[in-house]
Amino acid sequence: MTATIDWYVALSAILFTIGALGVLLRRSAIIVFMCIELMLNSANLLFVAFARSLGDLHGQVLVFFVIVVAAAEVAVGLALIVTIFRTKRSINIDEINLLKG
Amino acid sequence: MNELFNLAPLILVFPIIGVLFNGLVGRRFVDHDRKTGERWSGWFATIMALSAFVVVVLLNLALHANHFHAETVMLWDWIVIPGQGLSIPWAMQIDTLSVAMMLVVTGVGSIIHIYSIGYMHGDPDYSRYFAYLNLFLFFMLILVAGNNYLVLFVGWEGVGLCSYLLIGFWHERLAKDGTMKNANAARKAMIANRVGDAAMILGIILTFWVFGSVEFNHVFEEAIHIFESHEEMVTLVSTNIEMAFSTALFAITVLFLIAATGKSAQLVLHVWLPDAMAGPTPASSLIHAATMVTSGIYLIVRSNVLYELSRALSVHSGTISSSDIVALVGASTALYAGLIAFTQYDIKKVLAYSTVSQLGFMIAAAGMGAYVAAMFHLITHAFFKALLFMGAGSVIHGMEHGHHEVAHGHHGHDDDGFDPQDMRYMGGLRKLMPVTFWTYLVGALALAGIFPFAGFWSKDEILAHANANQGEYGLFLVLFILLALAAVCTAFYMGRQLRMVFWGQPRHEAARHAHESSPIMTFPLVLLAVFGTVAGLFNLPKVLTLEFGWSLTLEHWLEHSIQTFELMEEGILAHVPHTPTSLIVEVAALSLGLALVSMGLAFYVYRDKPKTAADPDPTQKIPGLWSVFGRLPIDSFYMKLLVPWFNRFSAWLGFKFEWSFWHDFFHERVIRDTFVWFADLSANVLDAQGVDGIVNGLGSVTRWLADGIRVSQTGYARTYALSVFLGTVVLLIYFLWPYVMR
Repeated sequence: MTATIDWYVALSAILFTIGALGVLLRRSAIIVFMCIELMLNSANLLFVAFARSLGDLHGQVLVFFVIVVAAAEVAVGLALIVTIFRTKRSINIDEINLLKG
Repeated sequence: MNELFNLAPLILVFPIIGVLFNGLVGRRFVDHDRKTGERWSGWFATIMALSAFVVVVLLNLALHANHFHAETVMLWDWIVIPGQGLSIPWAMQIDTLSVAMMLVVTGVGSIIHIYSIGYMHGDPDYSRYFAYLNLFLFFMLILVAGNNYLVLFVGWEGVGLCSYLLIGFWHERLAKDGTMKNANAARKAMIANRVGDAAMILGIILTFWVFGSVEFNHVFEEAIHIFESHEEMVTLVSTNIEMAFSTALFAITVLFLIAATGKSAQLVLHVWLPDAMAGPTPASSLIHAATMVTSGIYLIVRSNVLYELSRALSVHSGTISSSDIVALVGASTALYAGLIAFTQYDIKKVLAYSTVSQLGFMIAAAGMGAYVAAMFHLITHAFFKALLFMGAGSVIHGMEHGHHEVAHGHHGHDDDGFDPQDMRYMGGLRKLMPVTFWTYLVGALALAGIFPFAGFWSKDEILAHANANQGEYGLFLVLFILLALAAVCTAFYMGRQLRMVFWGQPRHEAARHAHESSPIMTFPLVLLAVFGTVAGLFNLPKVLTLEFGWSLTLEHWLEHSIQTFELMEEGILAHVPHTPTSLIVEVAALSLGLALVSMGLAFYVYRDKPKTAADPDPTQKIPGLWSVFGRLPIDSFYMKLLVPWFNRFSAWLGFKFEWSFWHDFFHERVIRDTFVWFADLSANVLDAQGVDGIVNGLGSVTRWLADGIRVSQTGYARTYALSVFLGTVVLLIYFLWPYVMR
């Protein structure tokens, strides 16, 4: 049984679902953050899989861009989390609602 | 064109220089040093008047050299409206008529300037007086020199202004009862003249409408042209209105007559002239006797073509012509004013009514078509009436000085009943003021029409004209009777005046102490007395001129300016030469006889009356004279009926119509209250509830909406992430839906 494109799509869907649920349900900012990374990487996986299956390098090139954006995001996001922790002594996102209308 | 004509503008330049000198700096001279200042101020003005006179004499010579042909000296375009054909130049017409007037104005004017130097001596407003006098000359010369009706009108109004200024010269002087006598007299003159001047403006406008021009020559040519072409209707310029030519001509000439009745003090606008005697006597002499008041006669004589045509048209249609109205107005004024003069005690008022009467003679002459006779009487009258006024001024001066001496002798004794102009206080001045007496006698005889003085010739010519044409024209008999009676009156009231002033015993201490005036005042009297004696030579009747070969009569002189026509059978005008007046011996003898008898009668009646100042006048026994004419019926009519009604009407207009209706009702109630109501509505209803309501409502709605929506902003990152997620899902469904459905 060879790994057809369907497998990759299914794996990617699972990963994305895990990530999305993690973002929506978890309280720890670090975990929410990692779940975002998970969703990005599920997308990357899909890009690469389709690039290979279709023989088109555009998808692979795009993955590099996504990785760059993800790296920048990590840098900004972690810095935010560190700063929030310093002021609130907690990174529970349920306690952060300063923007409440 | 003779070079000398170019000097014409100088007749206006000299007087205006005098005005500027006396008006701007004269006062400083007089205030700084009374004696030399008066000399500078008075003589400067006099020399300006004399210079103008010299220029007029030169213009006269130029006319001779030009064979009496009129010249127009164009100065500049005045009012030009291109496209409407309106072009009114500021130009001077130098012809025999205007030069004759100019000679009188500047000649008599200069003599009166000299007299004024003495008369006004010591007056605080010495230089102002001379400024006015020169200004008068300036405007009077504009009046007679203008070549169109509008320039004439400028002069006409200007002399009216000067008249007003000089009547009110001593405007701060009050009458004994505290009224502002002089200021009121000045206003009266202004108001009476307004009526005439309004008619004048209407006449000028109508002239332009009918003839398309206001220049004398154009108007007259056009009038003759229309008449000869038998056009019944004329179209008014710049309109589509058609008007009967005869009606238009009648209207124009009657309007000019009304103008003349204002300026020349004819019935019923004459009331201002006797009151005008409130001014300084030399000003009365120049303006209100010799020159300005003759403007009306000048206007009619100048418009002779229009009046002649009006007469010709009425002969055609058998209706009354405006010339007949002119003659009737003149003749009735002559008699009416002559009768009033019987009842006057003020020496100047007698002369004033006499002036009104003599102006009536001139107007009557002009109305009868005897334009030359009118001008002749105008000229001789200018001499002897100026003489009489200045003689009266000399008498008044003497009486004032006498009164001064008496008051001084009695140590401040104040005689409050005394009036230096009242003839009842005079008497016996013959010996005390010999020069004044003899010159006054000449003037009085000339005015009364006694041979051989100037007035005899000119008045006789008018009477002769009225007599000569009686046969063909019934109206002339009426005119002749009126004028002859007026001449009788003239002789009587002058006899009365002479007897009361110069003969008999003094009726007041002041008259006993009166003495002759200074030479600067008596010299002009003598000069004018000479003219008053010989001025008849200007226009001796035909019989005499043929006898002596005297060819330079006024008749021949003026025929170059005044046209006479004869109506031919077919309605064509024929220019006829002036028929030199022939001496009608019967008329001359009659008028001379009547004058002598009348004057003798006056001397007899007043031989020993009134004995004292309080005695009644002998003529008071004549029924109706004092009770009717002595009460000045037309003045009374104005003062008792017209003025109160006018005042009542003004009060009604002012208090009821203007204040109660317009102000209280219309402005306060209608306009103001409506406005306030509307402003209240706008501010409190429309703005506070309408506009504010919209704006506030918008705010409330926004706030209400915001309250509703703000719950979506939880502040939790998770909520936002969920909405992004759901949004993405929705979008995906939206985009993928077609593929799924396929």
